[in-house]
Amino acid sequence: MNEEIEQFEGRLSRQPFRPVPAEWREEILAVAGRESRVEGRAQKWIQPSSLVSRLSSVLWPHPVAWAGLAAVWIFIIAVDFSTRDHAPVVAKEFLPPSPQVIVELRQQQRLLAELIGPREVREADRSKSLMPRPRSERNFEMSMT
Amino acid sequence: MRREPELRRLYDEHAQALYAFLINCTRDESDTRDLLQEIFVKLARDPELLNAIRNERSFLIRLAHNAVIDLIRRRGTRERTRENFAAEAISPFAPAHDPDEQTFRAELSRALAGLPPDQRAVVHLKLWEGLTFEQIADVLDIPPNTAASRYRYGLDKLREYLRPLYEEMKRAE
Repeated sequence: MNEEIEQFEGRLSRQPFRPVPAEWREEILAVAGRESRVEGRAQKWIQPSSLVSRLSSVLWPHPVAWAGLAAVWIFIIAVDFSTRDHAPVVAKEFLPPSPQVIVELRQQQRLLAELIGPREVREADRSKSLMPRPRSERNFEMSMT
Repeated sequence: MRREPELRRLYDEHAQALYAFLINCTRDESDTRDLLQEIFVKLARDPELLNAIRNERSFLIRLAHNAVIDLIRRRGTRERTRENFAAEAISPFAPAHDPDEQTFRAELSRALAGLPPDQRAVVHLKLWEGLTFEQIADVLDIPPNTAASRYRYGLDKLREYLRPLYEEMKRAE
C-alpha cells in the first residue's frame, strides 16, 4: 500500500509545471528596479551624512557669499532683539482737555474765520433751477422758428 | 546599483518555483504575473527582508502564499467560486508530447483545482517543492500535524479522482 502511494506521489512530482513566460523577467525586474532606485534615493536623503553632503554641494559654489548672508541675518536678528522694548505696556488714562485749552482753541477758530471772511456759495455749487419745460411749449417754439 | 543584480539573482533562482506555486493557487496567468511582480517589488523596497533568512526559497514561497491569501480576500466569495471552474481555462502543467501523458496532466490539473486552497498549497509544497511537513508548517504558519493531515486528505482526493486513469496507464506500461 505504502509502495503504491509512493509510486503515485513519484508520478505526480515528475509532472513539470509550465515555464515562466520569458518576457516577464525584464518587465518584472524593470518595475522592481525602479522601486529599488526610488527607495534608495529616499533612504539616502534620510541619512544625516548624505544630508550634510547634499547641503555642502548646494553651498559649495559660493561659500563666502552664503557665510556673509548668514552673518547679515544673525546681525539683523541680534539688533532686533536688543532694540525690542521689554517694558510692560500700561494703558494711558484719557484726560479731558483743560478749560484754558478750550478757550485757546475757540480764539484760534475765531481768528481763522476773520481771516477767511464770510463763506460764499460758489456758482458751481448752486443748484440749477432750470426745470424741463412742458413738451407742448417746446413744440410751439420749434414751429415758430 | 547593488540591489538590482541581487533582484536578478533572486528572480533567476526562484521565479520558476514561485510561478508554479502561484499558478497552481490562482489558476490565472494575469493574477500570477501581478503577484509575482508584487513579491519582487516588495523585495526591492525592503532589501533587508532576506538578511536574516536561512532558506530563501521557503521565505519567498511564504510571501507568495500571503499574496495569494490577500488576493482571495480582496476578490471575495464571487471570485473564489470562479476559481473552482478556472481549471478549465488554464493548466499549470507544461504540455506533453505523449497524448496519454497530456491526458494525465489535464486530469491532474482538474483534480488539483478541486482541492480546497489549503490542501492544494500543502500538496504543492510537498510534491513539487519537496519540503518536509516541518518546513511546510513554517511556510504556511500552521502546525506540522495540520500540514500532514492536509496533505493526506489532499493526496487521497487526488488518488480517488485519478485512480481509473492512473491504473489504466500502469497497465499499459
